[in-house]
Amino acid sequence: MKISRTILNKRNSRGVCALLLITFFSHASAAEFPATTAEGYAIPQYGKQFVFPRDHGSHPDFAIEWWYITGHLFATNGAQFGFQATFFRRALMPPGATNHSTSAAFGNDQIYLAHMALVDKTSGKFIYQEKLNRAGWDADSSTNTLDVHNGNWSLRLAPKKIGGRDIFELQGSVGADAAFVLNLWPKKPMVIFGTNGVSRKAADVQASSHYLTFPRLAVAGTLTLDETNLTVTGEAWMDHEFSSSQLGAGQVGWDWLSLQLFDGRELMAYRMRRSDGSTDPFSTVAWIDAQSIVRQIGPDKFSWIILQHWRSPKSGSKYPSLVELSAENLVTSKTENFIIQPFTADQELVGKVGGVGYWEGACRVLDENKKEIGRAYMELTGYAASLKGKF
Amino acid sequence: MAANNQTVLRILWSRFAWRHWRLSPVSSLLLLMILALGVAAFFSIRLANRAAVASFQNFTDLITSQSDGLITAPVGDLSETILPELRQLLGNEPVNIVPVLESSAVPPRRDENEALLSRPTFQMLGLDLPALVNLDSQQDNRSGWFGSATSDSTNNSEKGFSPVLQNPLSVFISEALAKHDGLKIGSPLPLIINEHPVQLRVAGIIPNDPKQPAAPANLLIMDLPALQQLTDKTGRLDCVEFVLEDGPRRAEHWATIKKKLEAVNSPNAPRWIVSSPTDRRSSAATMTQAFRLNLTILSLLAFLVGLYLVFQGLDGAVVRRRNEIAVLRSLGVTSRQIQNAWLVEAAAIGFAGGLLGLGLGWLGAQVAVKMVGKTVNALYYANSVDSAAFNFSEAAVALILAVVASTLAGWRPAQVAANTPPAQVASRAGMTNYPGGKLLSNAGLGLALIAFGIILTWLPPLRLAGGTRLPVAAYATALCWIFGAGIFAGQTLAGLGIFFHKLKINSVTMRLASSHLRAPSGRHRLAVAGLVCAVGMTAGMAILVGSFDKTMRGWIARTFQADLYISSDGAQTASSSSRISPATWKAVVANPAVKEANVIQFLEIKLGDATTLLVGNHVAFFRDYAKPAWLSAPLNDDIFDTNRNAALALVSEAFAERFRVQRGDEINIPTPDGFRTVTIAGIFSDYGNERGSLLIESQQFKNWFGNELAASLILALKPGYDPETLRAELRTAHPGLGVFTSGFLRGEALRIFRQTFAVTYALELIGVFVAVIGLAFTMASLLWERRADLNTLRALGLRRKELATAAALEGALTAAAGLVLGIAVSFALGWLLIFRINKQTFGWTLQTDWPWLQLSALALLVLASASIAGWFVGRWAVRLPAEREE
Repeated sequence: MKISRTILNKRNSRGVCALLLITFFSHASAAEFPATTAEGYAIPQYGKQFVFPRDHGSHPDFAIEWWYITGHLFATNGAQFGFQATFFRRALMPPGATNHSTSAAFGNDQIYLAHMALVDKTSGKFIYQEKLNRAGWDADSSTNTLDVHNGNWSLRLAPKKIGGRDIFELQGSVGADAAFVLNLWPKKPMVIFGTNGVSRKAADVQASSHYLTFPRLAVAGTLTLDETNLTVTGEAWMDHEFSSSQLGAGQVGWDWLSLQLFDGRELMAYRMRRSDGSTDPFSTVAWIDAQSIVRQIGPDKFSWIILQHWRSPKSGSKYPSLVELSAENLVTSKTENFIIQPFTADQELVGKVGGVGYWEGACRVLDENKKEIGRAYMELTGYAASLKGKF
Repeated sequence: MAANNQTVLRILWSRFAWRHWRLSPVSSLLLLMILALGVAAFFSIRLANRAAVASFQNFTDLITSQSDGLITAPVGDLSETILPELRQLLGNEPVNIVPVLESSAVPPRRDENEALLSRPTFQMLGLDLPALVNLDSQQDNRSGWFGSATSDSTNNSEKGFSPVLQNPLSVFISEALAKHDGLKIGSPLPLIINEHPVQLRVAGIIPNDPKQPAAPANLLIMDLPALQQLTDKTGRLDCVEFVLEDGPRRAEHWATIKKKLEAVNSPNAPRWIVSSPTDRRSSAATMTQAFRLNLTILSLLAFLVGLYLVFQGLDGAVVRRRNEIAVLRSLGVTSRQIQNAWLVEAAAIGFAGGLLGLGLGWLGAQVAVKMVGKTVNALYYANSVDSAAFNFSEAAVALILAVVASTLAGWRPAQVAANTPPAQVASRAGMTNYPGGKLLSNAGLGLALIAFGIILTWLPPLRLAGGTRLPVAAYATALCWIFGAGIFAGQTLAGLGIFFHKLKINSVTMRLASSHLRAPSGRHRLAVAGLVCAVGMTAGMAILVGSFDKTMRGWIARTFQADLYISSDGAQTASSSSRISPATWKAVVANPAVKEANVIQFLEIKLGDATTLLVGNHVAFFRDYAKPAWLSAPLNDDIFDTNRNAALALVSEAFAERFRVQRGDEINIPTPDGFRTVTIAGIFSDYGNERGSLLIESQQFKNWFGNELAASLILALKPGYDPETLRAELRTAHPGLGVFTSGFLRGEALRIFRQTFAVTYALELIGVFVAVIGLAFTMASLLWERRADLNTLRALGLRRKELATAAALEGALTAAAGLVLGIAVSFALGWLLIFRINKQTFGWTLQTDWPWLQLSALALLVLASASIAGWFVGRWAVRLPAEREE
């Protein structure tokens, strides 16, 4: 196993500090990937030089892109919530393809999907909404900075730093039931997962992405729930990932996990799931230490054990509902065990709008002694139907 | 006691009433049929009206369930650039903003010379298709929009709608159209949109929202930018609808949003008009209010004639059952019980006739709805109405009306029956003691009613919101005159009787016939009144239609004097949104054969709370080739001079009536840059639309609205050029244009007009039929009363044939009296319809025409059928024994 330490992107104009990436893939060669897919979409390339804030923005030469925020909110009245705010972009035609449409307001080259969800950790009430809009007047993403919107939902990087730090402004709602306006700012530097800027998901080189993450953001803002305004604070996790394919041959979906431990460390895990239920060798667990140093391990160093299942009454899909993640800590060479327990089982987004149903929920993290040691968000995809061909 | 009463009533019903109905099924059925016809006329018109109003639907409602509100431009359309502005304005409000573009299209013609209006008109709705899935109503929709457009059975929207977005000719059709035309996904659908022949491709079936009615067959839905492109309206929208997310206090949320939207409007140049879908629907209802009310009143008048007959029928029954009444009274049945039995019988007739009428009315509505729909289509808004659904509340109203009216009609006969003392029957006295006799012989009352009616004609119409005018006083005049003349008619009958008596014709039959009329019974008077009513209304309508026809012929001949008339081949109705692009009309105008051209543009604008048409055209061309008939001619030539007419306008008579303006008045026209003021230079008569037209010079129209899309194009050719040759040339060069010669257009305009009025001829026949049946009823009652006399006359040597001839003569003379007064009333009603009802409702002055031929035919028909009916009744009566049932 080859372990490398790479200092990435010292030129980062937005002050992302030097990141250390430790990769373990003995078979992850730094050989050149083809530049584009057969259709003409870009394929992530090793050594990509990220420039910010431009790379917080959109990359329309890639087929798929998402900005993904999950977090935990604490209201001044004691109420606690989990929230999800996701903006997806999907290209409908590769760059340079002949386009008959000249309408800027109603584009036909990109489509935007977005999901907002809120779970009341006390009552277990889970609400969510999906939106879908074509690129144009009601959905778009800037290619210069983070500025993505879909309907009345938006995520923007504030044009000016406040107190010397980047501020992300999130505006969202869930139907007429809830609305939130949140400011988020990094408590830790951004990390880039994968090897030399590329996060691979399968043996097929096209199944890879550029995967940028703020593992711990501070949150403050207002949550309006059932017409009551609540002042909230909390912590969130933000992914920004772009690719032209997320799944390789034989893969049907993935289980993804972001853990924010009370001791200041984070873990990110994705388990690429094959059609027979087994874990794909390109699955990974990434440890992020207090200084945002990332250490990634392969499936030989972690295990993912499903302790319980839950069947959705809405979709009939069966999802894991209690999971034990055991991962080797490369610093201590010890295996640590985490029990991932959802605050409520019903955190399924059925996918009426986008056509893809999945489970994405706020969880507590317990140690072997059932002691709560952190908070998590877990994503379970491909259980309602295989995602092959969709991502 | 109550139980006893009920028992008596039951016995009376079965032995006294029902037995008689069974014994004379033909006359019973006839009476029911007549009442049913009245109810049917009312019910069918109500159903047709309801269908026509319901057909004005905000088509987007089918997709959005119902939006909470919408914005439209103060005039013209909206720019799509307002959309991001709206989103920003509404901030984090959870509201779906739904931009909408509407247009119309028709299939290409099959035959080069086919008649106008012979092709269906499709309503095209341009919507942002991918965004529709965000609407709550669409998320319940399992079939989805894009599942059908792709072979992907998982209904993956992202995959599914991509082919639709990539193909700008993709169209979604209704299930009804798919079934009717056998269309499937991938089928071609050729259409004319604006002046473009296009071949659309069926991309899917419009999914039905279970909470909404199914999409009508004429609705087509396209992706909005694709429709913008096809209709030359790139970047434009007709309205923007707002659909709030489901949740509590929705109305309050809409109020907040409405406030935000209105806050950015400046009073002098409002950016948009914020309204609710209910406002939109009610404005459509207001638009057609007068038209619908007129039809309802006409149908009620038909019902009124029917009531005369119920009255006559029940009265006849009283006469025939007089003996039995006497026997019943002798047996101790109280007069109250007898009266109740009659009333129950009258109500039962009303109920049975009403039920029958509902069935007939529903059938009639299916015919009427097409007529109403066509008229609404031509004058007001596009609709797809082709059938009228049965409506229970309308049915209940019609049935209640039938029962109440029939009971009221039976009231006097019931009273007479109840008050008949047994001794009177035994002595056969008081046979002329006829219900209402006194009223009908009060000539003074008749004259007073007529005089009161005359006074009412001076009253103005009732003005409602939206520019609707209702000629309430004129309708009251019509009623006064019909009743007044009906009452007065008895005098005419007596006069006629005396006249024939004085002629001393040496004919037993004539003397016999005229002797009964010299002192006409109340029953005679009623029959004449019924005839006056039927003939008056029927002939009055004939005069209106004749006058309309004459006026239209003149107007059409005057108006279509240029050589060629061009519009989009997709424009079939006044409400069509099909336009001709500037590139096309400029190419046509540049043809060397063209001497002069008038490029006509129009826009619907709102003045106050009423909509009207603003027409941009070359005013001098209008003067030279449409030869307007001036009601107030321009005082000088300024309006015809493009250098001097920038602030001048011409208005149609309907406009002047509707907005109560005259020459010299100023009008503030809303434009995208605020109001512009023009002065009315003249008023011309026009029969094209009843909302009125405001004509300004083309250049002004272009300056104010910045748009050059033409609604139509009129060409005058240089000498030596043949219109037919140029027509063929233009059709070849621009297959999406409809090019018509003035001759063709004149013929078609008249044909369509006459088709619209064809139904009135049917109404006339029904009127005659009803009146004659009424007369037959009366004759039967009279002869029944006189059956002992008839026997005596037979014993004295008169032959049956002579007696029948006498009855026929009596019938003919009665009909003649009714005709004389009826025709007189028809002249008065004709005048009222033309100069009051029509003028007040539509603002059209018609030239009067007296259709003598038609009136003579009507008179002959009434006389002949009255004589024949009298003869048959006479033959039947002389066969009666002195005492016999029925």
